[in-house]
Amino acid sequence: MTSHNKIIDLVCPFCSLHCDDVKVSTDGKTFKIHDKNLACAKKIERNNIRKNSLIFPTINGKASTLSNAITQIKKNLSTHQELLILNHGVDLSGLRAILGLASQYGGIIDHINSEALFLNLNLLQRSGYMATSLTEIKNRADVIVIFGNKILEKSPRLLEKVLQTQNSLCTDTRKKEIILVGSFSSKIINDIKKSSRVTNIKINLDMIPSFLDLLADDEKYKKVNGLSEDDLVKIKKIISNAKYLVAVWTNSDFALTSNPEMIINSISKYIIAYNQDKRGACSPIAGSLGDVTSSQAIAWMTGFASRIKFIGNTFKHDRVSYNNKVLIDNQNVDTIIHISTLTSDKIKLDKRYFNIVLGHPNSSFSSVPDIFIPVGTPGIDCDGIMFRTDNVVSVALKKIREIKLPSTEDIINRLT
Amino acid sequence: MLIQLKSGNVYDPHNKIFNVRKDIYIEDGSIVDKKYVSSKIDKVIDCRNKIVMPGAIDMHTHIGGGKVNIARLMLEEFHNEQDPNFDMTAIIAPSTLKTGLKYIEMGYTSCFEPALLPANARQAHAEMSDIPFIDKGGYVLLGNDDYFLDLVRKKASQSSINDYIAFVLKATQCIGVKVVNPGGINAFKFNQRALNVDEKSKYYDITPREIVSVLTRGIHDLGIPHPLHVHCSNLGVPGNFLSTIETIKAANGLPIHLTHIQFQSYGNNGDRGFSSAAVEISNYLNKIPNLTCDVGQIMFGQTVTMSGDSMTQHKNHKHAHPNKWMCMDIECEAGCGVVPFKYQDKSFVNALQWAIGLEIFLLAEDPWKVFLTTDHPNGAPFTSYPHLIKLLMDKSFRNDILNQLPKDILEHTILHTLNREYTLNEIAIMTRSAPAKILGLSKKGNFSHGSDADITIYDKNKKDPEDMFAHPSMVLKDGKVVVENGKIKEYIWGKTQTVAPEYDKSIEKNLGKFFDKYHTMKLSNYIISDDEMERLVGSPVSINECKHKRKE
Repeated sequence: MTSHNKIIDLVCPFCSLHCDDVKVSTDGKTFKIHDKNLACAKKIERNNIRKNSLIFPTINGKASTLSNAITQIKKNLSTHQELLILNHGVDLSGLRAILGLASQYGGIIDHINSEALFLNLNLLQRSGYMATSLTEIKNRADVIVIFGNKILEKSPRLLEKVLQTQNSLCTDTRKKEIILVGSFSSKIINDIKKSSRVTNIKINLDMIPSFLDLLADDEKYKKVNGLSEDDLVKIKKIISNAKYLVAVWTNSDFALTSNPEMIINSISKYIIAYNQDKRGACSPIAGSLGDVTSSQAIAWMTGFASRIKFIGNTFKHDRVSYNNKVLIDNQNVDTIIHISTLTSDKIKLDKRYFNIVLGHPNSSFSSVPDIFIPVGTPGIDCDGIMFRTDNVVSVALKKIREIKLPSTEDIINRLT
Repeated sequence: MLIQLKSGNVYDPHNKIFNVRKDIYIEDGSIVDKKYVSSKIDKVIDCRNKIVMPGAIDMHTHIGGGKVNIARLMLEEFHNEQDPNFDMTAIIAPSTLKTGLKYIEMGYTSCFEPALLPANARQAHAEMSDIPFIDKGGYVLLGNDDYFLDLVRKKASQSSINDYIAFVLKATQCIGVKVVNPGGINAFKFNQRALNVDEKSKYYDITPREIVSVLTRGIHDLGIPHPLHVHCSNLGVPGNFLSTIETIKAANGLPIHLTHIQFQSYGNNGDRGFSSAAVEISNYLNKIPNLTCDVGQIMFGQTVTMSGDSMTQHKNHKHAHPNKWMCMDIECEAGCGVVPFKYQDKSFVNALQWAIGLEIFLLAEDPWKVFLTTDHPNGAPFTSYPHLIKLLMDKSFRNDILNQLPKDILEHTILHTLNREYTLNEIAIMTRSAPAKILGLSKKGNFSHGSDADITIYDKNKKDPEDMFAHPSMVLKDGKVVVENGKIKEYIWGKTQTVAPEYDKSIEKNLGKFFDKYHTMKLSNYIISDDEMERLVGSPVSINECKHKRKE
C-alpha cells in the first residue's frame, strides 16, 4: 500500500473523462488530492470514508454480517417474480457479474441514465454520424462549438485537458476559436479568454436548430433572440476558415428543452453537411455514472446498450417496457437491486418493492433499503476498467486504499 | 487424461499427412506423439468414417473493438431474437456469445481481429475475452498515427522505428501489425479525400509507399512472424489493381500480406468502367514468393462493412443499406467507418465482385499463400464459410450460381472458364496449416507432438461439403470436447495469442513525454500488462516466438 507521503496518480472513476493524472496521497485508508486547485478536487475527496459511512452490511437498517446479507438476498431471489437490476454506475467487472446474475435469475437490466444514452444512440440508429475522440480534439480542432450551459461545470477539466490545452500537434493553440452557444457563466468565459478567442451566443437552447439553419444557409439573417446579424457573420467566417471543426455538448443540458432529440439531430446534420468539403466531427460528453462503460459492455455481450431482459438462454430488448421508471410505476417488478459504486448521491427507493443496494459506503437513501451491502469504488478500493466518454479509450483503474470493501463482482459471485 | 481419436482419416498438411487413417492422442490439452504414450488410455473416440483436421483458424475477422460495437448498436434490429420479425439467419455484428457459438459450431478454434487501434486495444481484448471457446489475437494498426508519421517525416532511423513497432505490439498485446490505407486515414483528417501510393500527404509530406516500406522492413528486422498486413490504398476503386501492384513493390521483396485482396483487384475496363483484374493480381501472387493474401470473398445478402479506413467509408456512406452510418477520427492513431450494406445478385458490380474473389482463389497456384476469408463481416458474415468452401470444391455448383447472375459480367470475368475444384487437402491447408504458419502459431494448425489439441472431426459420409463443414461431428478445444453432434458440451475460454519482439526500453521515456504533451491519457495507461490481461481484461496471453533475434 502506498505511503501517505508518496504522491501517486489516481485514474479517476468519477466522470466520463477518466483523467489519469490526478495526484493523490494516501495513508492506506484516506486520500487527499495533492493539487488543491484541481477543479474536481472536492468531488473526488467526497469519496473518503466518514464517521457515518456504511462500511458494513445492513438488513432493514440494522447492522448485519455479510454472510447473513447474502443469505437474505439469495432467499429473496429464489422466490422473486420479476427482478430489476438498476445500474447507477459500475466498472466492467461489475457489469460482467451483473449479466451473469440477470442470466441466472431472469432479470431486467437498465441504467439510470439510459434515456440520455438513447438520444445519442438514436443518431447512430437512424441517420449518419461523424464523431471524434478527445485526443483528436486536443490536437486537431481549431474551432470548437460548445452547446449547452452546464457542460463545463459538469466536466470541470474538459477545457484544461481537451478543449483548451497548451500543446497541440497540428494547431496553434493561441489561435483556437471557441464558440459558446447557450448561457455560460462570466467566470468560464473569462477563463477561456485567457488563452483562446471566444464568442458567446446567448440563445435559448431550443433555438439551436434555427441557429444552425442560419449557419448552414446563405440565406439572409432571420431574427433569433440572442444572435445578432454581426455575430452570425462573424461565426460564419470563423467556421468557414476552420480546418477541423468540433461540436461538443452533453445531453443533460438539453433535458429541459422542448425537444432534445431535435437539437442533437440538428447538430449532427450540420456536421455531416460540413464534411462534404471540409472536416469536422461531433463529440457528445457522456454522463458520469459509468454510462459509456455500461452501454459498451452490455452491447458486446448482448447486442443492445441497455434495457434487456434475460429469458432462458436468450434475451429481449425493449426500450419502453424495460424502462426502470415504467417498471416501477406500473409495479411490474417485485425486487430491485440497485448497484451504485461511483457516487454517494441519494438513491431513490420505492418501498413497495424489496430493495437491495450494493452501494458506495457513503450512500444515502430516500428510505431504508431492505438489504444494503457496501461495495468498493473501482479505482479507489479495487482495480477495474472503465470507458471514456468518446467510446474509444478505456482506462485501467487502480486500487489506492485498503478498507476491506468487497468489489461488486465479489458480492455478485456469491449470489450466483 | 489420455484420449485416443481412433482410426480417423487425418489431414495434417504441416506434417504432409493427407487423408491417412491413423490415431491421434491427446493428454492435458496437447497432442501427444504415439511413441510417448505410456499410460492407460482413458477415453477412446471412434473416428472411423470421420475426417480429422486441426481446428480451423480465421486469420482476418472483425470480432472485437470499437467499430464492431458501433455496428452492434447501430444494427440492433438484427439481434432481437425475441422479436417475431427477427431473421434467425442474420449474423450481422453478432454478440460475443453468438460469435463464439457460431465459430465453434463450424470447427473454428482460433480467430484474429485484424484492426485493433492502440487506444482501443483494452476494449477490443475485453470484448474478445468474452467470446467463448476460441483463442484470439489482434493486429495493431500503425501507419496512420501521428507519432509514426512524424518519425518517417523526420527520417528517423529504422532502428528507432523498429523500437516503436515492437513497443506498440507489446503494449497493446497484439500478434501482428496492420496498416490500413497507408497514410490515408491521417490525410482524411486534413481533408484529403484520396491518397495514391506515390502521392504525398499534404501535412506530413510522405507517401503510402514510404510507409509500407518502413513497416515491412521493421517487421522483418524484428522477426515478427506475420508479415505486414496491408489494407491497400484505393480500396474498392475501379482500376485499383495498379495501386495494389505498387503496394506489393513497396515491400521491396520483403514479406507482405495483402488483405481482402478481392476489394483491391479491380480493373476499369468496359462500358461501366469496372472489370476484373484478378488475373493481373494472381500473376503477382504466383510469382512473388514473399507475397500472401486473404481474399475477402463477398456473398449476396445483408451485411455491415466496418473498417479503419474512414476515408473510404466516408466516401461509401451514400451506399448505406439500411440508410445509417458512422465515421470517426480516433486518438491521432487512425479512424473507423461503419456502413451497413446489402450485396445484391442483380447488381453488375456486386456480381462481378463475387466472381473476382472466386477467380483469385482458383488462380492461386499455392494454397499456402491464399487464405479463406470473407473479411467478416465486410464481404459476408463468417458463417458463410461452408458455402464458400463448396463454391471452391464444386465447379457445377459454382457455375449454377454464376449462370443466375447478370450476363454482362461474363465479358469482364474468366470465372466460367476456370475448371479447378479445390481438394480437401487444399482446404485443410488454407484454413488450418497456412494461417498457423503465417501467424507464427507453432502449436496450432498441426498434429505435431506438443501442439494444442484443437481438433475438428467431420462426418466423411456427408457428401455435400457445405453441410460437412457447417456441421462437424465433434470439436475439441484444448483437448476438451466442446461440440458433439451440433450440441455444446462445455463452455471454455481461450487465450490471447501475442508476440513480443525486443525493443530498447528507453523509447518509453520519449513516448511518455509525447503522451504527457499531446495525448489525453498517460503512457502507463496505454500499456496493457500481461497481469491486466489475465485479471481484468479476462484473457491470459500466450506469447509466440519471433522468427529470429532482432536485426539492426
